[in-house]
Amino acid sequence: MLDTITNIWHICRRELRMFSQRPIFLVIMIVAPLGFLWMFTSLMQSGLPTKLPAALVDEDNTHVTRQLTRILGTMEETHFVLETNSFTEARKAMQRGEVYAIFRIPKGTTEAALTQRQPVISFYTNDSYYVAASLLMKDMRKMSEMAGLAMTRETMRARGFRDDQIMGTIQPIVVESHPLGNPHLNYSVVLSNLIVPGLLMLVIMLTTSYAIGMEWKRGRQKKLYNMAGGKTWVAVVGKLLPQTMLYTLIFWLIDLVFYSYLQFPCQCGIPRMMLWGLLAVLASQGFGLLMFEAFPGQMRMAMSACSLLGVMQFSLAGFSFPVSAMDKPFQWLSNIFPLHHYFLIYVNQALNGYAISYVWSSVAALVLIFLLPQVFFYRLTDAFLNKEYEP
Amino acid sequence: MIRPKFPILHVWLDELSDIVKDEGILIFIILLPLAYPLLYAMIYNTETQRELPICVVDDNMSARSRDFIRRVDATPEVKVAAHCVSMADAQELMRMRKVYGILRIPSEFDTELWRGNQTVVGLYSDLTSMLYYKVEYLAVINVAQELNRNIKVREHQNTTTSREESLARWPIRFDEVKMYNSAGGFAAFLIPPVLMLILQQALCLGVGMSMGRSRERFHGLVIPPTKHYKNTLAIVLGKGLVHFLLFLLMAFYMSTCVTRWFGLPQLAHFVDLLGFFIPYLLACTYMAIFYSSFIYRREDCILLFVFMSIPLLFLSGVSWPGASIPPLWKVVGSVFPSTWGLNAYVRISGMGASLGDCREEIMALWILAAIYFLLSCLMYMFEIRKAVGRSLLN
Repeated sequence: MLDTITNIWHICRRELRMFSQRPIFLVIMIVAPLGFLWMFTSLMQSGLPTKLPAALVDEDNTHVTRQLTRILGTMEETHFVLETNSFTEARKAMQRGEVYAIFRIPKGTTEAALTQRQPVISFYTNDSYYVAASLLMKDMRKMSEMAGLAMTRETMRARGFRDDQIMGTIQPIVVESHPLGNPHLNYSVVLSNLIVPGLLMLVIMLTTSYAIGMEWKRGRQKKLYNMAGGKTWVAVVGKLLPQTMLYTLIFWLIDLVFYSYLQFPCQCGIPRMMLWGLLAVLASQGFGLLMFEAFPGQMRMAMSACSLLGVMQFSLAGFSFPVSAMDKPFQWLSNIFPLHHYFLIYVNQALNGYAISYVWSSVAALVLIFLLPQVFFYRLTDAFLNKEYEP
Repeated sequence: MIRPKFPILHVWLDELSDIVKDEGILIFIILLPLAYPLLYAMIYNTETQRELPICVVDDNMSARSRDFIRRVDATPEVKVAAHCVSMADAQELMRMRKVYGILRIPSEFDTELWRGNQTVVGLYSDLTSMLYYKVEYLAVINVAQELNRNIKVREHQNTTTSREESLARWPIRFDEVKMYNSAGGFAAFLIPPVLMLILQQALCLGVGMSMGRSRERFHGLVIPPTKHYKNTLAIVLGKGLVHFLLFLLMAFYMSTCVTRWFGLPQLAHFVDLLGFFIPYLLACTYMAIFYSSFIYRREDCILLFVFMSIPLLFLSGVSWPGASIPPLWKVVGSVFPSTWGLNAYVRISGMGASLGDCREEIMALWILAAIYFLLSCLMYMFEIRKAVGRSLLN
């Protein structure tokens, strides 16, 4: 037993020496994750994007339409950077990418409104830029709806109705929406919580297969195997333990920055999230190891597999485009990715504050991904003894 | 093998035969650009969420509340998967992820409406995906507005003719037009920029791996110590040409085949596409060559380039609105061809913009191409000097 611990300790020390000789390790393992933490939290500082550029085409240009456009100008998301009376000009600006939407008041709107001939106003959003278009669409729709209601309200006021009666007439059913756990719809909260840990997990997968594959590349796999006293698991633990500790610390730092410094919602308490962070680190290492066992001794193939799958897991985590909307095969596929499970746990725990038993399957999946490589240790043993590096 | 006289052709042939023989490079420059776009397009192929299961807590149980629920159920966005007696039950379903939203109708719903007062319907959305909130909100608000109009016209404003009724319903009509992505789908929004990002990343990985291999083979040099590798310009042009031509082919595969197979928007003219691809791929190629010179082992390139994909997508301002990106990150983003390229491609192919409409982006790409080309030349000059120094010592 004592021998085993000494062996692990020696392999760990050897590993740390390797890190210190390779600047690329330090850059990828420490600088990159922290850099991304800084980048994403400052990139999405505003939470929900506001004051998005839009164009206003007022072909009528009367005091009535100007009043309407002044109301539009007060909206949260919309910022009119271009006011013109030519639709073509606005469309050109959209194609140049200067505006995401066009609000158009056609000629004769005022006249039609005054003579009760039902004017039509229109708005155009550029849905090639989905987020911006969705936000602007919501704003403009609301505004147009309001404009119509305001006209009815004025008529009713003139007829002597009270304001509460008027509201009961023009808007009898009010919808109150409650986005749970994130009432301000702060994109940064959820997106940062997906992308930053996700990038860290991708880095973990890559460096796991990189660090292990390096032994074969330098032709030292037999030496490592001997150092481990002929026990594969000792070799693996010794190799990966320094990384586990380093990445866990980084993960915890991310948790502290998110939930303590930036005050992102965390219903379950920071220590609990740190525990899930540790589990995510272990599962990602398991995933990297699994890929290496799939291609024993071939670090390049293992790393290619990690990178191709690892980048895909951002899509299959299902934040921007939900997993439930994907075709069935992808719904199944999403289950093999640690990030998908970590994200579900995050939503359950930090965002909603539910009991962990509701996402037990995700916890189990992470544990499984962490443990699964041990089943295939015999492949590693075989690789230690018989496989050489293949470029 | 016949060895041509011109050094540039020599380098070109060398690089090409090296690549073809190397399975590791082939994965990144052939398989990745051919297969990855298909995979991505298939993930997002369903375009949007339909029939999202939600549950209803109807405390009112009147004909009107049932009508409301039936209308919500009839929308394409959501389906009423469960009726719960209490909010507690509904919350339990939500926690079990059986439903993704709760619609709550208050007990006084019908009475308040008959009294001519306002009544408040609650909608509680799960935020596992932002799209859940969006579709639920859209479905419920559309139904509520429609019912509001009915109530306004039928119960409060006495109209005699259908024209009057229509006017009372819609004092102002409005049209909403989604341009360039009329279904408001995810694939049409995300796949075109992802295609361009894949081009850049695949180029970086392929070039990086080939450079790393040279370094390993020639003891830390990026060029073989032979007499053909003395002319900087020949090396830079010869190597660049291999990747540039190959990826030009890939670019057209993506902008025609992938785009057509998955019905993505394609409004571009061939000439405009070509006028964009040339500077974009040149900039990407020489950026890949320059950054790859920092790679000393084949596998290092995977470490360095792979995880850049996600941040680059964000920096481009396609997914997160460019107008909301802080200036510092705009500057950081501007040194990568993808930032300009993604936007230009989205506009040219998806929005039918001409090259003139993307003047700024195209100019930036040419400038980046020139800068990275010069940097690559400097790098090779340095390497040639190193190689010459070494062969003298030997």
